[in-house]
This record gives sequence, C-alpha cells and structure tokens, in this order.
Amino acid sequence: MIFENLTVDTNELPKTSELSFEPLERKYLTVSLLADALFFVPLLIGSACLIFFNDNIATVWTNFVYLCGGILLLWSSAILITYKGFFKKKYALRSRDVIYKKGLFWQSRISIPFNRVQHAEIKQGPIDRMYSLYSLKIYTAGGHSSDLVIPGLAEDKAQGLKEFILKKTAEDAPRIK
Amino acid sequence: MHPVLSKYGQPSRQSRVAIGIVLVKFIKTSIRAAWPILLGLLIGRKNSDNFTQYLLIAVLVFAAFNLIGSIMTFFRFYFSLDESSILIDKGILKRTKINIPFERIQTVNLQQNLLHQMFGVASIEIDTAGANKSELTIDALKKEEAEAIRQFILEEKKQIQSQQDPLSRGLESENESEIEEKTLLQLSFNDLLKIGFSQNHLKSMVLLFAFAFSIINEISSTLGDDLVEEQLSGFEAYFLNSGWAMALGALILVFIISFIYSMISTILVNFELKMSIQGKGFKLFKGLINREEISINTSKVQILSWSDNPVRRLFRMHTIILAQAGSTEANQQHTKIKIPGAYLKQIKQIAWLIFPKPFVRKEQKHRVSKVLMYRIILVAGFIPSLIAAGVGYYFLDAKALFFLLWLPFLIFGTVLYYKKRSYEINDELLKNNKGVFGNHREMVQLYKVQAVKISQSWYQRRKKLANIHLYTAAGAIKIPFITLEKAEALENFVLYKVESNDVNWM
Repeated sequence: MIFENLTVDTNELPKTSELSFEPLERKYLTVSLLADALFFVPLLIGSACLIFFNDNIATVWTNFVYLCGGILLLWSSAILITYKGFFKKKYALRSRDVIYKKGLFWQSRISIPFNRVQHAEIKQGPIDRMYSLYSLKIYTAGGHSSDLVIPGLAEDKAQGLKEFILKKTAEDAPRIK
Repeated sequence: MHPVLSKYGQPSRQSRVAIGIVLVKFIKTSIRAAWPILLGLLIGRKNSDNFTQYLLIAVLVFAAFNLIGSIMTFFRFYFSLDESSILIDKGILKRTKINIPFERIQTVNLQQNLLHQMFGVASIEIDTAGANKSELTIDALKKEEAEAIRQFILEEKKQIQSQQDPLSRGLESENESEIEEKTLLQLSFNDLLKIGFSQNHLKSMVLLFAFAFSIINEISSTLGDDLVEEQLSGFEAYFLNSGWAMALGALILVFIISFIYSMISTILVNFELKMSIQGKGFKLFKGLINREEISINTSKVQILSWSDNPVRRLFRMHTIILAQAGSTEANQQHTKIKIPGAYLKQIKQIAWLIFPKPFVRKEQKHRVSKVLMYRIILVAGFIPSLIAAGVGYYFLDAKALFFLLWLPFLIFGTVLYYKKRSYEINDELLKNNKGVFGNHREMVQLYKVQAVKISQSWYQRRKKLANIHLYTAAGAIKIPFITLEKAEALENFVLYKVESNDVNWM
C-alpha cells in the first residue's frame, strides 16, 4: 500500500488514469487552426504595412524576409502545437464525476465530482458557430480557478452532457446540511 | 409574528446616519481620485487670489453636489425582510432591485468604522458564494437592530434548511442545547505589542515605498516631471556626497518608520481581538477605528492554516487563518478570519472544532522529491545569476560578479524550503507543511475538495513525477513534485472521499 495509515487501499479504488477517454470533435481542430490564423494573419499584414509605409525602415526584401519570416516561423510552430495538442484534449464521464485532460508539454488532468458542481452551461463562440460546435462550461463554488471548459462538442453531445451533469448534480447533492 | 419581521416587513430606510456615512464614502473616493489635481492647482498658482476663490467655489459646489447625492441615495434606498429573503430597492438614476433568498446567504457580517461607532450604528454586509451581484451592504442601522436582523436571517436560514431535509433536524436541535458562548482566544495589549514587534517589517517597508512612489508618480504626472525632479535632485546629490554613513542612517530611519507603521497598524486592526465559539459558529470581534464582527459556521471553514516567522517563533505565536467560500477572490478577504497571535494550544482547540477530533493528529510525513530542490536551484539560481554576471561582466565591469552572490543565498533558502516541504494524510484530513524561514501549515478536510488536478511538465514526465492541486471553495492546496504513483493514489482517494460523502460542504 502506498499510504499505510488509510483504511482504504488506494489500489482498489477506480483509477482515473485507466479510463477510456473520448476525443473532441475533429472539426474543433479546424476551429483552433482558424483561431491561430485570426491572430497571425493581421500580425503579418500589419508588419508588412509597417515596413512598406514607415519611412524609417527601408522597403527592401530582406526586411520583409526577416520580420514576416519570423512571424511565419512562429505561426508554423503554433500550428504544430495546436495540431499535436488537439489529440491530447480528451474527456471522460464516470457515474460520479467528469474528467478532462489536456496539454502537450504541460499535461494536466482535472476531475470534478458532480456533487461539487454549482452550475453547467453550454456556450458558442463566433468561430464555433460556423462549424456548429459548442463548449461546455462547468462551474464550481468560490473563484474561478477550478472551473472547467470542455470545448469542441457537437450540439446534441453538449446538450446531453449538460443535462446529464445537471441531473447528476441534483441527485448527488449533499443530503445532510 | 417575529419582532424583526413586524418592523422590517415593509420597505424601510436605513438609520439617518447613513447620509453622513455615504457622504464620507463619496468624499473619500473623490478625494482619492482628485487630490493630485487639487494639490497641483494649489501649488501651481498659489499667488493669484482670484484663482483661490474660484477653487474654493468649485470645492463648495462639489461638496454640495455630494451632499445632495448622498441624501438622495439615502432616500432611494429601501430594504425589507420576509420569512425567506431580503429585498433591496435602490438607485437614483439606475434603479435596482435585489432579492436574496436566505438559503443562498453565506455570511452576514457587521462592521463599524469610527463614524459608525460615534453614532452607535453598524453596517451589515451580506455575501453569497454565487456569481454576480452577490455582495450587498446596508450602510447604517442601529447596532442592536443590525444584530437582531443578523440573528433573524441566520435563524430563518437554518430553519429553511432543516425544513428542506428532515434528516438534519435531529442534529440541529442537539446544537440548541449548547448555545453558551465560550471564549477561544483573546489578545491583550501586551500580546499586540509582541505581534507588532514580530510583524514582517520588510513587507511594511515595501508597502511604504510603494505608497511613496505612487504619490511621487501622481504628483509628477499632474505637476509635470520638472518640478518634482527639481525638488528631488538636490536630495539625490546630497545623498551621493554624504556617503555611506548617511545612507546607513537613512536605511535605519526607513526601518524605524516601517517598524512604527507595522506596530500601529497591527494595534489598530487587532485591538481588543476576541474569538469565541457559540454552538457551531465562530465569532470574531476586532479593531479600534474599524470595529469588525465576523462570524463563520464551523462546518463552513474550508481551509485552516497557520504560520510563524523566526521572530514570532520566539513568542511561540502563530498567525491563523480560517478561510471560507467567498464569491470572488477579492471578497475572500472579507470572509476570512485572520488572527495574528495564536498559541499552538489554541490552534489545536480551533482545529478540533472544525475537523473530526480524532483525526487531528500527527501522521507520517511524506516528502516531496529532491528533484524539486535541484530544479529551483537550477532555474531560479544558476541560470539567472550566471547570465546576469556574465552579461554584466562583459558589458560593464567586475562589479557585476556580485550577481553571483544570489546563488548561495538562493541555495540556502531552497534547502531550507525543501527540508520543510512535506504533507501528511489520514482518512479525513490532509496537512500541507511548507515555509522557508518560517513555517506554514494548511489543513483541509478531504470531502470539502471540489476539484482535483494532476499536472506534469515534460520534464516531470520523464522522471515519473507530478504535481497535485486540490481545489476548495476557498482556494487551492498544491503539492509539487511527488511520484506519479503517489499523486494518482491521492487523486483517486480524494475523489472517493468526496463522492462517497453526503454532508454539505459549504
């Protein structure tokens, strides 16, 4: 046993690490890549304009290569990270909690028991709308550090998850005040 | 009908003192916003008499405007109570009605600043742990009435909850029998001096410096930098010429000022501090100018923590904090009980009241991995000091080698930190031990955790290490760099404790 003074053998408990996790919708990868582009394209255009219109910077092709090349390099690494990171984002439901894991270099796994959930809602951003994707937001009490967002869900899935969690939250609510 | 209900069933106004209190609030905030401008105007053109007159008129108009504003605010502020909720109707231009059901209320605290004390009134602060629009303040009510209202809200809330679930009724009635109040902790003036003496004076020094800089900044931004620079430049030259002795003298002076500052602020904030327990509720009174009364139900305490520093350890005193759920991070300041001078015996007594008594005991200390120590020394010590020294030496001169002194200092601190870093666990409680020069301990009952997170950097993954975060409604407890096996065992065990528990946690 790992912790000898506990009355429960932790090896006998259900393990979150051995769950089978579900991936997010594939369309969410496109959404994330679009969000990347939405950041980098204006940056690229802006810097090109800067070189072109600013009199103090010579409008020569080397300057374009240095600045825009740098940005393109950053963009391509962002694309790589977004792509690789997408496959790390997964969620799982158990009978009494919801678990979400993510992260490429810094991996994390957060578990929220249903009897500690305050509220759950589904949200949709502007890019999400184009691909009819939703994200599920789960709120806990006091501050926002332990709130959880599961992005990239199809509508029926998001709605179903939300209803399931709210139903479970009501069922599991503490009986002794 | 309950006397409180018959009195406040209809929409009622606050005590008339509220006009004054709102006025003071207005003036305070406006002075805070506008003083540099006023000062700038005064200094900038003190010669023209005409101008002073205008200024006077402007100030008078402003004051009159404020007065009218406060009076209108007062007349447009109604509150009323019924059996299950409190209703507030307020606002001049933007009218708002707020209705808070009693069962959503987390805390009801009374506060008295100097003005309140002079007129024998108190303000009531009501906080819910929910999201928006959760804080509600009634600025002034007669002290006894404020207390009666608070009593009423708390009683009704209890009743509503026991009606909702008959299971807990037996428990409640059991509590009624032991309503006598018991003092847990009291601070004498002597204690206050000890606490003030052992306060973190460096912190007050930083605070004072920040304050001074912000003032200089404000003034220079309104007066223009030249004037301030002119005033200060002589000062600087004076410093440089007079050499080390003067600098040392100045340092000592600054230290003395910080010392006096922390001494006075300690005494003002904690004057006549008294903590007591009545039934299942803690009560705390404290303060000289700002008299505060905070109450927390024992079952609502999420994290109990206590800490000391090397000086305070001489007096065997600790600072103890009882944290409960707050609606926002900022609000948590209001809902915390913080006592700077508790002895271990008293801490134990308080812990027994909050947690199941047999589980408050010493357990085997589990250490964190040594890798954490090496990591901190490498990332915060070696790399920055070598880079700073190298770059400094290359571009400046040999004096840059002083940067290397950071390294032994950091190693010393990190070794101390590593030696103290550990955690203890049993079936009900988790205790986190940390600190560098002082000791800091945190205690949480496992079923109060509301989310568990395991995180690993790519580096930790290679060494099979992980961090674990236990989130409660009043903040997180973190244990870094333990073996993945232990982290996962903790994760699964805490989840099991939370999910198999049926007791309300906040």
